[in-house]
Amino acid sequence: MKNFFEKIAKIDRRIVYLLIFLGVTIPLITKKGFKFEPLQEVKKAYDFIESLPEGSVILISIDYDAASMPELQPLLEVVLRHLFSNNLKVLMMGHWPLGLPLGQIALEKIAKEMNKKYGYDYVFLGYRPGVAAVILNMGKEIRTVFNTDYKGTPIDSLEMMRGIHNYSDIALLIGFEAGATGDFWVQFGQARFGLKIILTSTAVITPDLYPYYQAGQIVGLIGGLRGAADYEILVKRKGFAYSGMTAQTIIHIIIIILILLGNIGYFALRRLK
Amino acid sequence: MYFSILIFFILPPYDVRAFDYPNDAGGKIKIEWNLSPDDSVIDYYILFREQKIFDKWSEPETVAILKRGENNILDTGVKDKINYRYFLRAIKGEIYSDSEKSNIVYSSAQWFHKKRISALILLIVIVSLLLLYIERAKRGIYLFIRKIPGLDAIDEAVGRSTELGKPLLFSLGLGTIADIPTIAGLSILKRVAKKAAEYETDLIVPCFEPVVFVAAQETVKEGYLEAGRPDLYKEGNVFFLSYEQFGYAAGVDGIILREKPGAIFLQGYFYAESLIIAETGNSIGAIQISGTTAVTQLPFFVAATDYTLIGEEMYAASAYLERDPLSLATIKGEDWVKMLLIILIVFGVILESIAFFVKIPWLHFLKNFFTIF
Amino acid sequence: MKKEIPLIITFISGFLLIIAFFVPHEPFGSLEQRFNDWFIIVSGFTLILGVDSLLLYHYKKIKRKEKDAPYSLILIISFVIVLFWGIYSGVKHGNPFAPTSTFLRYFYTYVFVPLQATMFALLAFFISSAAYRAFRARTLNATLLLLSAGIVMLGRVPMGEETVPYFTGITLILISVIFALEGFKRVNPLEKTFFLSMAVLSILLIFPLSAFLKRHLTEITNWIMNTPQLGAKRGLFIGISLGAIAMSVRIILGIERTYLK
Repeated sequence: MKNFFEKIAKIDRRIVYLLIFLGVTIPLITKKGFKFEPLQEVKKAYDFIESLPEGSVILISIDYDAASMPELQPLLEVVLRHLFSNNLKVLMMGHWPLGLPLGQIALEKIAKEMNKKYGYDYVFLGYRPGVAAVILNMGKEIRTVFNTDYKGTPIDSLEMMRGIHNYSDIALLIGFEAGATGDFWVQFGQARFGLKIILTSTAVITPDLYPYYQAGQIVGLIGGLRGAADYEILVKRKGFAYSGMTAQTIIHIIIIILILLGNIGYFALRRLK
Repeated sequence: MYFSILIFFILPPYDVRAFDYPNDAGGKIKIEWNLSPDDSVIDYYILFREQKIFDKWSEPETVAILKRGENNILDTGVKDKINYRYFLRAIKGEIYSDSEKSNIVYSSAQWFHKKRISALILLIVIVSLLLLYIERAKRGIYLFIRKIPGLDAIDEAVGRSTELGKPLLFSLGLGTIADIPTIAGLSILKRVAKKAAEYETDLIVPCFEPVVFVAAQETVKEGYLEAGRPDLYKEGNVFFLSYEQFGYAAGVDGIILREKPGAIFLQGYFYAESLIIAETGNSIGAIQISGTTAVTQLPFFVAATDYTLIGEEMYAASAYLERDPLSLATIKGEDWVKMLLIILIVFGVILESIAFFVKIPWLHFLKNFFTIF
Repeated sequence: MKKEIPLIITFISGFLLIIAFFVPHEPFGSLEQRFNDWFIIVSGFTLILGVDSLLLYHYKKIKRKEKDAPYSLILIISFVIVLFWGIYSGVKHGNPFAPTSTFLRYFYTYVFVPLQATMFALLAFFISSAAYRAFRARTLNATLLLLSAGIVMLGRVPMGEETVPYFTGITLILISVIFALEGFKRVNPLEKTFFLSMAVLSILLIFPLSAFLKRHLTEITNWIMNTPQLGAKRGLFIGISLGAIAMSVRIILGIERTYLK
């Protein structure tokens, strides 16, 4: 009896890892899904984008890298499709140099899919160092930071950039966040220039961004895989995030079962002692 | 049937007011106006600016083209101490009409940011309290600080590692030398290096950032010197590992699994790699003392390590370990500042709660006073 | 003088930056940005120091034919390949991350991205083993942590509402068993009655509590995230900020000198 409780109180970590592995792969292979209601903060983000008039310029900031790609890349593609299908214009830049190519790959892929023309419907600015300095200077004049696009083309020669000088010409910023850069956007972009912001983030940092959403400093918050799945439901295009939610559900249930087993073993052993 | 409305005349915007943009370094004028009653049919507006040169007004120059519905703009193309005035032209097809000219205005730089007065007052109060306690410490008054288990465990951890014949591992996280948690981590590193030298235990310090690597090298050397064992210092034990987050995590994990340290110190600013490193350390049975100000990583450290220094406990480390009176004094001063802030917060919450029910504007004075952005 | 000069530089820089926050007039207004730019330039050069240290460390390992010398050789070879490949792509396409560059198409897409994603994916396994080990109801605080974690984990996933009644039932049965065993152990009739009543109450609460949680799981989850979690976080932020201020004052006044040595 004591042996049994000892075993469940100290399950070998390799068995835990095996259960997690099975819990992730089986749902992704079988592609089963569950029904659920999108969260309020994601609905607000979606509704705000829907309310923007055609031709509005949306600034997208890529502030994640390959480590967060599984969580944020599918969402980036969904958001880009949504923006392009509403005939909104996309201006992309970023603060994480190693993540920016991911943004570029997604932008080129979706733009090609939706027959959008570079320089008219979307522009890719690239990366400049100095997070706070970049955000502050773009608020005054974008050309003081990005005089040329990522290819070296002067941005004044791009049709889309005529009349776009600073944040007052930009309808919305959508930040894809895996670190602390979102705080800079809110503290400098929103607080000083009144820039409207939607933040999308990895699940780990989403709790950090809730104060901004609660205070009304950001218009919407799309957090983690759940946020991405909610957004896919709202744009009526279920993809990787939606099927990923099944895997996440199974994993959460497995973890709770393991925690329960661990506690049963713990209390039983305590009594037996 | 179609009705076409022929427009012969449109009303311009009115009450155009210009003023020097406050709290800036000059070169900016803010222009505001009331929208034209015909705003809904107007195509666009043009904002014109006239400059006074030797008592004569220049020809109007275009400042900006504005969409309908816009009623303000910041003109950043002006020079200080030169008089300007503005007017708006409303345009509908071939028809246009001009507003009255605005007041005469000139821009200038301000020497003080008026919106930040509350920050200045708080800063003066905080620094005064800190300096007050520093003075008290200089006079030799004893300053009590509660026990911090994580810091007390450092000696125990080094001793345990020595008994097992295993090295120590110290990670300063992913912060740069400009990050205060890294500096706090360096002061803990010095203490660990000194103990390691006394016990003749190897200390491995893989670094993420090159500048931190240089500082860590000097710190460890200094620790060995203070212990009187500079001969034991091995230059190869403090090294730059990788400037990439998961490259660093993979490298540290590899070192943990190969070298099997008896004690692991994770002191600095960490991101997502924190749990990877902490769990790997846990899997080899090492005693782990962690500390970070990264609020998102604290739960992982609390779950995976034996001792965790939470936030400001890390900052108190150097004062706590060295027992330097001047450093301890700043911690005492900080505690009193915290008390003051708690009182202000409670008072503010009461005022705002009352204001929710009783709509009296002056009840928001505290909130307005501390809003600096 | 060797120690005094850095301290003077630290004091003047710190003091100037504080002034720059309150004085918009030039030259103070743009000081923060200028210092940031200088820091970026200087830290770029220090990368050379780091690379030198890394290569020297592994070269010495190879020279001394230490145990893991082959891995050091692989590191140096990989370093050289990636460096020259990046330079070649940069020169050929103007930017190593240009869409047509082989560096982006092959190295970044098929080596760098999968490696980074793999390391990040380890977190799923480590979180599970850490949660299994750490979430034991040893104390009241640990129990509250455990319950909040369970509610939030279920509240964040689609099937959470369907499964919460089962977990609530199992938990309450577990609690009931613990109370019952404790009650049977006690001798004092008052204590015995108390524990046995709590055991019965736990059983009686299964259905109402399960129904309540099933209906309001999302609201409870949002409340936990938006109220106690956020409150604690804000408290931590205030404490950390104050600690940073005290530490900064120590550095500016030269009391804290660890970084100098």
